[in-house]
Amino acid sequence: MRFVLPKGRLLRDSLEILRRAGYKIDEPGERRLIQRFNGHEVLLARAFDVPVYVEHGVDVGITGSDVVEERGSDVFVPLDLPFGKCRLSLAMPRESVTPPEDMDGYRIATKYERITRNYFSSLGVEVEVIKLSGSVELAPKVGIADAIVDIVETGTTLRANGLVEVDKVMDVSAQLLVNRISQKTKFDEINSLVLAIKEVVKDGA
Amino acid sequence: MVLRGIREYSQLALVSSYLRRTFELWGYGEVVLPTIEPYDETVRKGTKFAYNNGFYLIKPDVTSRLLRNYDIDFGKLYYISEVLDGGVEGNWQAGVEFIGGEPTFMTAEVLSVLITALESLGIDEFYIDLGSLEVWRRATEGIEDFRETIYRALERRNFGLIDGLPIDREKKEELWRLFNFRGRKTDYDKLAQILELVDDERVFVDLGTVRPLPYYRDVIFEVYSPEFGRPIGGGGEYSFRGRPAVGFALDLRTLVQLANVEGKKSRRSLRGIGSFREARKLVSMGIPVEVRR
Repeated sequence: MRFVLPKGRLLRDSLEILRRAGYKIDEPGERRLIQRFNGHEVLLARAFDVPVYVEHGVDVGITGSDVVEERGSDVFVPLDLPFGKCRLSLAMPRESVTPPEDMDGYRIATKYERITRNYFSSLGVEVEVIKLSGSVELAPKVGIADAIVDIVETGTTLRANGLVEVDKVMDVSAQLLVNRISQKTKFDEINSLVLAIKEVVKDGA
Repeated sequence: MVLRGIREYSQLALVSSYLRRTFELWGYGEVVLPTIEPYDETVRKGTKFAYNNGFYLIKPDVTSRLLRNYDIDFGKLYYISEVLDGGVEGNWQAGVEFIGGEPTFMTAEVLSVLITALESLGIDEFYIDLGSLEVWRRATEGIEDFRETIYRALERRNFGLIDGLPIDREKKEELWRLFNFRGRKTDYDKLAQILELVDDERVFVDLGTVRPLPYYRDVIFEVYSPEFGRPIGGGGEYSFRGRPAVGFALDLRTLVQLANVEGKKSRRSLRGIGSFREARKLVSMGIPVEVRR
């Protein structure tokens, strides 16, 4: 099987859960993006790209549910994993707090363009979405956006930038992704992986 | 500005020409639709734009357009078209619709069209998996309140969602069996009949990995190649203004990657005085020619 795992904060927990499920993968070297173990192959990619790899043919992947939702990739998501937990929230400067229903015409800065559009269109509110690649909390500070939609773990970053949460857009956790064709062509292998990880999740709970 | 070779599009055209030939051999007639469609909620996909106070769609999904605009009581149609989905570059699709027949028979025919279409492109290694909405409807009788969750579980292939429902163990076990069912024997007569009529060892029943898309009525199918990580196409049984219909759509770009077809045919080479007259005669007899200077 080919796995694609996210570089960055989810990597350690991803390797740990696979190890406990019986798929021992060494911590990859600094700059090696592909490695082999026991006949499997492991790729490292940016968390945002993991669903794309899985949709286009890598058998299995792990990444955050925020990313899966944002990419809208056509993949199976058989399991929620018990790490990478945080939330995606709408936040804005403390002094200008407005309920989301009243944000018609507001500018929203975010890395999550699609989720943000869906969130506001479900409220029937029309906003302008500005797509940024990072440090989104700067946007209201310099006046290019009225609010942001971004990941909140502890809230420290928001507070440091004078922002408060107005609404939770979605809960986020890591998820296991499976390629749709691999699910058919490697049915037994994939099912035993899913069941093994499921057992680990259950024991941990 | 990126300049691209014409190769991509000549390959799309080449694959299309093989598909056309096969669809025509089965008696399906081509339809071409205008590029622009007035905006309507029932028409899926397309790229929306506003013009003179009206809303329009460029190149939306063809089946939903046919449904919206035409009343067809019996027909065998096919189309080859780009389909946009909000962007400026879309997917190229080849699709077939059989409207107004008996569903089991129509499904068997359409699957046969599909098989020969792939074979005409030199694609022999593929599978067609059949699913059924009716099987899931029956299995969820008495627990209708949880249907939505169960369908969502199917869509993501996340059995945990079903496991978490307050339904009895036996039911869960039955659903788990359906969830993992793949084979060529089935209790559901309709699927069994389709397998028998199509009679091809590449067709399977798979109740757990074929997605229950909302606009289908019962039998749905997906075609894929083990060589390729994404489905080649899919289709199923739907309702055409109250009449049963069965259709499928194939992704042409995927077919281009998998196809094994030769564009060139041996052609008669002509040169010198009189060659154009001679070439006209050969062409009218259907013989490929090339006139050289």
